[in-house]
Amino acid sequence: MIEVKNLVRTFNSGDRTIKPVKNVSFELEQGTLASIVGKSGSGKSTLLSLLGALDKPTSGDVVVNGVSLASMPDGKLTEYRRRDIGFVFQQFNLIPNLSAVDNVMLPMEFAGMRKAGRLQRAKDLLEQVQLDPDKQVRRINRLSGGEQQRVAIARALANEPQLILADEPTGNLDEQTGDHIIELLSSLSREHNTTILVVTHDRALANKADRRFRLQQGKLTEEAARTRSAVATPA
Amino acid sequence: MSVLARSVGNAFRNKVRTAAVVAVLAVAIGLALAMLVANQAVSAKVQELNASVGTVLTVNPAGGQGFEGGGEPLTTEQAATAAAVPNVTSVVGTTSFRLRNAAEAAAMASAGAPAGPGGGQGGGPGGTSATTLTTSLTAAIDAGTLGNRNQAANGTTGATGTTTQPPRSLPITATGIGAEMDNTGKALTITDGSGLGDYTAESANALLGTTLAEKNGLSVGSTFTINDQTHTVAGLFDSGTTFGNNALYVTLPTAQNLAELPDELSSMIVTVDSLENVQSTKAALETALGTDMADVTQGQNLETAVSSLGSVRNISFIAFVAALGTAGLIILLIMVMLVRERRREIGVLKAIGAPNRTIGLQFVLEALVLVAMGSAVGAAIASFASGGIASALISANTTTAAPTRPGARLPGGGAGFPGGAGLPSGGPFGGASQLLTSVTASASPGVIAAGIAAVFGVAIIGALVPALLTARIRPIEVLRGEYP
Repeated sequence: MIEVKNLVRTFNSGDRTIKPVKNVSFELEQGTLASIVGKSGSGKSTLLSLLGALDKPTSGDVVVNGVSLASMPDGKLTEYRRRDIGFVFQQFNLIPNLSAVDNVMLPMEFAGMRKAGRLQRAKDLLEQVQLDPDKQVRRINRLSGGEQQRVAIARALANEPQLILADEPTGNLDEQTGDHIIELLSSLSREHNTTILVVTHDRALANKADRRFRLQQGKLTEEAARTRSAVATPA
Repeated sequence: MSVLARSVGNAFRNKVRTAAVVAVLAVAIGLALAMLVANQAVSAKVQELNASVGTVLTVNPAGGQGFEGGGEPLTTEQAATAAAVPNVTSVVGTTSFRLRNAAEAAAMASAGAPAGPGGGQGGGPGGTSATTLTTSLTAAIDAGTLGNRNQAANGTTGATGTTTQPPRSLPITATGIGAEMDNTGKALTITDGSGLGDYTAESANALLGTTLAEKNGLSVGSTFTINDQTHTVAGLFDSGTTFGNNALYVTLPTAQNLAELPDELSSMIVTVDSLENVQSTKAALETALGTDMADVTQGQNLETAVSSLGSVRNISFIAFVAALGTAGLIILLIMVMLVRERRREIGVLKAIGAPNRTIGLQFVLEALVLVAMGSAVGAAIASFASGGIASALISANTTTAAPTRPGARLPGGGAGFPGGAGLPSGGPFGGASQLLTSVTASASPGVIAAGIAAVFGVAIIGALVPALLTARIRPIEVLRGEYP
């Protein structure tokens, strides 16, 4: 279970103080597929980075399964990101001189998985995101944007995290692949009890979430929730 | 893909830059290794010099090293006095005299020419016995300008040298010695046969210099005569110089009996127990023997040589440290550049759970790959350049201190009987300056390995510092652009 308590993040820009996240609070049960929609600059990605322990809040706290991130030392936060979080970045953030399969193996290597096991799992995950086998061994800079996005999703799934934070996961994908990714995320949420929080402009994707949030000028409001059965059956 | 494989791959991301970095590193590492090799070679040489002759003092009759000769000869009684001086571990007496080929001496006598230095007529300078004996041996060296001039000056025609004299062969130096060492106190290098056994007892055996033996067609077991007494070649020695090998050694009592000077010594070689006590023992010997009776010398040229080598050692060590520091600085700057260039990548690695140590290790290994390549090229550079660099350093530090030309000697060394004690007139250690040129700066694997280990150590620090500093930053700070 994730509890977000009065989360605030401010930045100083010259004389101005920017407040992209203003006193945000919500709770997500384990296995929930949630979406956050909002305009560009509304603070969606900042909120995601706070939940993923990439950044520290100015005030407030994120509590994961009863453990406060605010009180965690850096080493524990690294462990939290490695073990409990899967991140899908908007700009993929893959290592350009490594192959797709090597990129997917990275989090498993950091988690101490044996090489043979992580190679097989990386290949399985890349197949799940429908990346052709011949492209799995290509360097990232020789893959298209959509292919890179799929590698990024596979990497986020590598260590079977409790929480997947996805920033525009279908933004660079064609409709068919996007639908497949949505289905993949939904099934993960269902079958592996994985909590998934998706930031998206894609209304179709947002509507398939169990819970839908809207972020406007740093303030979070919840829209009407869908039923699990509706999520389970793609339109 | 392991951290190592990833690091090797990263090292070759930009091949042109990698080549440039390796080239710069190779120069710095090569210089560092060359300096280390020079330093080690010089240190070894200094140690060798100190161990061999550093604690030796030579006692000559007072005034014996001047052109006009000295006062009273040294005696065996004075040797006993010297032996009683504190810190003296041994006193070895020498008696030197000249040998002239019997047939040549007879021919010169019948022609009315002076028989040579001394010749029974002129006094040998310093402690050298004035005695010239005849022998069946022929000298291995003909007199040059200095040899002819010196022999003429010591002959019956006086010292002006205005009378044109026929060319002479040089006399042969014969030395009676009380231990198996040469007249500078260094152990004799016997190349064939054996030593003379008990050097304090009379013996019909002798040690011949290699060139003298070769000139006379003698080998171990051959015989020759001195004043019609037959002697057997027990062994051959190599002194390292042509003039030094135109000589022979017999036991001290044998020489004293041949010269008919049973209690006289040409010189004494005094060994002191440690280098620290050399100066105080020298002063004590001067007091005990009297400065009007004996000159005590330490071998100034050796001191100069050791001092010069010490300077070279210091300079090469400083240069090694400087070159090592330069290599470290290069690594540091390169890694700072690489880390800054890959801040985003570090942020990504942190975001997906890479521990700081893994990130640090990745950059350290990448730096070590570059250093390994630079070291390989640098070691090759050092193996070719270290000898030349060492020679250049030695030359630059000894031009005013001592001749560095191989085989160079001060002029007195050219005469058959230079100095008062039958030693090169450059002093009792006149040949020490030559030792400077005998420093062999070879790039031994051990020294190269030690140098490369030092470079690797510096590289690890140079790479680790920027990587860890960056790794400590929160991932969002290096992922700016992704988030506001």
